[in-house]
Amino acid sequence: MCRYCVEYGGGTKWYLNPDNYRDELYTSGAHEATVKMLSGVQKNSFDVGAMSIADESAPDLYSTDSLSVGMEQMIGHGGQVVPLEDALKIIDLCREPFLLMHCACRRYFGKTDILRCLYLWPQVIETALKERPWEKDSRILSKEEAKEFEIDCDKKGFLHSIWHAAVDTDGILPMVMCHCTATDCIPTKFRVSYGVINAQRKGEYVAEVDLAKCKEGCKEYPACMHRCQFGAMRYSPVERVMYIDPQACFGCGLCRPACPYGAIKLVDRSSYPSLVDNW
Amino acid sequence: MEYTHITPRPVIHVDEEACGNAILCLKCVKACLEAGPNCIGFMNTEPPPVGENAPQRLEDIPHKIISTVMVNCNGCGKCVEACPKGALTLEMPEPQVPTVRVQRSDIIFCFTLRDGTKTFPRDD
Ligand code: SF4
Ligand code: SF4
Ligand code: SF4
Ligand code: SF4
Ligand code: SF4
Repeated sequence: MCRYCVEYGGGTKWYLNPDNYRDELYTSGAHEATVKMLSGVQKNSFDVGAMSIADESAPDLYSTDSLSVGMEQMIGHGGQVVPLEDALKIIDLCREPFLLMHCACRRYFGKTDILRCLYLWPQVIETALKERPWEKDSRILSKEEAKEFEIDCDKKGFLHSIWHAAVDTDGILPMVMCHCTATDCIPTKFRVSYGVINAQRKGEYVAEVDLAKCKEGCKEYPACMHRCQFGAMRYSPVERVMYIDPQACFGCGLCRPACPYGAIKLVDRSSYPSLVDNW
Repeated sequence: MEYTHITPRPVIHVDEEACGNAILCLKCVKACLEAGPNCIGFMNTEPPPVGENAPQRLEDIPHKIISTVMVNCNGCGKCVEACPKGALTLEMPEPQVPTVRVQRSDIIFCFTLRDGTKTFPRDD
């Protein structure tokens, strides 16, 4: 359980707490400001704008805590990795329809345009369609379609992350689910290149390998390794097994379905005492 | 002794006037992407108007070049070469001597507790 869950989880994870999906939050104080900026005409100025000042706001790569504070307190937006099963639970907690739109991180850094940002609140659709008429490629998804989309992303190796619209004393509003790779995703780059923790926090899980199964499995070329965006997988050609470093693992679960021998599972991050403050 | 260490990295200066509406070109973005580091992006100069005068195409929105993720820049200069308008300049940092430093982080990843307490990282 991360500190967000302790404060705002109501006994579960913050993003699985139905309390955080209350309609009042959508129009209350800190949340409303972020929601407005992300759903309306200010979207690109807001999220690409936050990226544009990264170099100035993180002058020291080894002390980027102030940028984490900035993400949460000023920008009012931050992400956390979730595995497929939690992504599906999030969809279940929401009302349909969902808005699936282009991925700003890819588009605005010259990469291939794909639809990868899934907005959770039906209210977003209205604002987005009204204020951003040039985004003609967006799609409106039903609950079923949104779940299919999540499953498809998982197959293709896009990690799911849940993004909040501000942390305030009344809760944390889950706003959008992104489907990224560390190669393209700006917040994930902020995490891996700049060390900004609140840009993309680790998930509530870590992956574990059943070494006995693994030893009998691939033997030569590990079939799971290419799925890890975080360099948490280390293969020993001597033992012929995969080791996953719990300190490096983000708990995305993408390696799991890639193992033909069912040797990988996700366990709760809290099963490792040393990970209690490693997010 | 007060000491601030700034992680060195190159800086790209963009002459926005010379560049014009970046979205009509984006040659530097492409050059940096092809070079690998992918430091350069683009964004609208300001939020476009809503209502009748709302733009119908992305190209109708004025955009500017942003240089960010410069921690990954290797100073290859491909972006500068690619710019047909001479709008970019690359400034390389002075060579640095490695310094002694202490790393610490007191962050608990949630700055606003439910009772309203703020828990910003200590700066001592
Ligand atoms: S956070 Fe991920 S999915 Fe969202 S815009 Fe960025 S790369 Fe795309
Ligand atoms: S080891 Fe598996 S679960 Fe952990 S970050 Fe890598 S792909 Fe994700
Ligand atoms: S795919 Fe499965 S069996 Fe193969 S190396 Fe990975 S964990 Fe081991
Ligand atoms: S100098 Fe090279 S790496 Fe740096 S921004 Fe320009 S193209 Fe990218
Ligand atoms: S290459 Fe030059 S003119 Fe073209 S977008 Fe970049 S800075 Fe502007």
